[in-house]
Amino acid sequence: MKKPKKIAIVIVVGLFVYLSMYTWNLRTGYLDALSSYTGLDVSGLILRPGIWVSDKVSGFWGRYIYLVGLKQENDILREEVAEHRRNAMFLNAEARSAERLERLLGFEAPTRWGFSGARVIAHRMGPSGSLDTLTVDKGSSAGVGNDTPVVSPDGIVGRVLQAGTSASSVLLLTDSNSRIAVFGDQNRSPGMLSGQGYGQPLLVRYVNLNAVIDPGELLLSSGLSGIYPKGLPVARVSKVQRSDISLFLTVLAEPLVDVARLEEVLMLRPDAGPQADQTPVGEEVTDGAIH
Amino acid sequence: MPSTNTILAILWWASYTVLGVWAQKVVPGVDFLAPGIVLSMQEEAGHRTLWLALVWILLLEGMGSLPFGYGVAWYGLLICFYFIGCWLFEARSILFMGLLGIGLGVLHPVLVYSLSNLANLTVPFRPTLLEGLAQAVIFPIVWMAADQLFPKRLRQDVKHL
Repeated sequence: MKKPKKIAIVIVVGLFVYLSMYTWNLRTGYLDALSSYTGLDVSGLILRPGIWVSDKVSGFWGRYIYLVGLKQENDILREEVAEHRRNAMFLNAEARSAERLERLLGFEAPTRWGFSGARVIAHRMGPSGSLDTLTVDKGSSAGVGNDTPVVSPDGIVGRVLQAGTSASSVLLLTDSNSRIAVFGDQNRSPGMLSGQGYGQPLLVRYVNLNAVIDPGELLLSSGLSGIYPKGLPVARVSKVQRSDISLFLTVLAEPLVDVARLEEVLMLRPDAGPQADQTPVGEEVTDGAIH
Repeated sequence: MPSTNTILAILWWASYTVLGVWAQKVVPGVDFLAPGIVLSMQEEAGHRTLWLALVWILLLEGMGSLPFGYGVAWYGLLICFYFIGCWLFEARSILFMGLLGIGLGVLHPVLVYSLSNLANLTVPFRPTLLEGLAQAVIFPIVWMAADQLFPKRLRQDVKHL
């Protein structure tokens, strides 16, 4: 056999084997799981000591040396806490009342969600990190699995894309491949929120032309996809445009969370059984669990 | 009982990997481990390069967000580029390393675009092009730095012409 023919056969066979492996993995996900349980965990192990040292140093600096404006900040925070306490008092009363009414009307109690904190150890890493992701220091050993919702105190951050044993990568809501079913807080118009890349506004798709949605309206997760709990804040509508050629409104929104500045996040997981089975009506919701 | 050279090689490559992972955290989209593959082939070609490639493929795939396959194609084609280039250039010349860097810089957006299309994913093209540009510039610099720092007692190559 001549040499060029041999080279051509090697290239064709190599390409065939590679594409077979690629499509087999897309179907089964075995190789993705292998790389998550090896590469992702090892990279987490490599990064964690450096991040721990950096946290300790910056914490020491912030706590004991750089104390400029601490008193003023403390006063502002005290005022905020007092306001939040007042709000919480009224909201707790309303929540208990709504719960009692739901029970009277025979509504099934919503799933109760528990949460655990996780530290962000990296954002996009490596040449194949083309999607908007971040890496957190919690994995399957802490009950985190694929599609686990990730939130911050301001709103939804994204969902777990790949979970390793002690680290996971999170697909951010700003990524073009992220989809979150939402509805407006006031007008309850449904839509599908998708990202357009970091720094770009989010796009709310499939909002009917006759739907009512206002700029400034808060968008909440609708819970329809089964991934995110219902009612979590996701984004705020920034622009609504009526199109002459489309059946849907063009709606843009700004995320509530600045994903580039995130240092800690909360990983949600559904607790076993509905809330009604665990918490008697009138009892306050404890830390570590939300509706 | 492993020899001192083997222990030194393991320590050196482990340190290189740790630094590479940190560099990839700081500069997303650029592979700082690829120059190590070339250096390993130049200095101690054989099973050690294969082990390094295997470990780094798993690292790359684990850290990345595309479905498994990018690292295999990335390092596979880098090794092919290296052997093809060796027919034409002196293996350790900076010109050759610059050309390898440009090759990887072009390969990055091509691979990302092809593989994301196969997986039906949307990836913004402009940042990927910029990452390719950064890869082309960074590759020869990292290779030169690693070559300077590589322990003399582990070298098995011929000296510069």
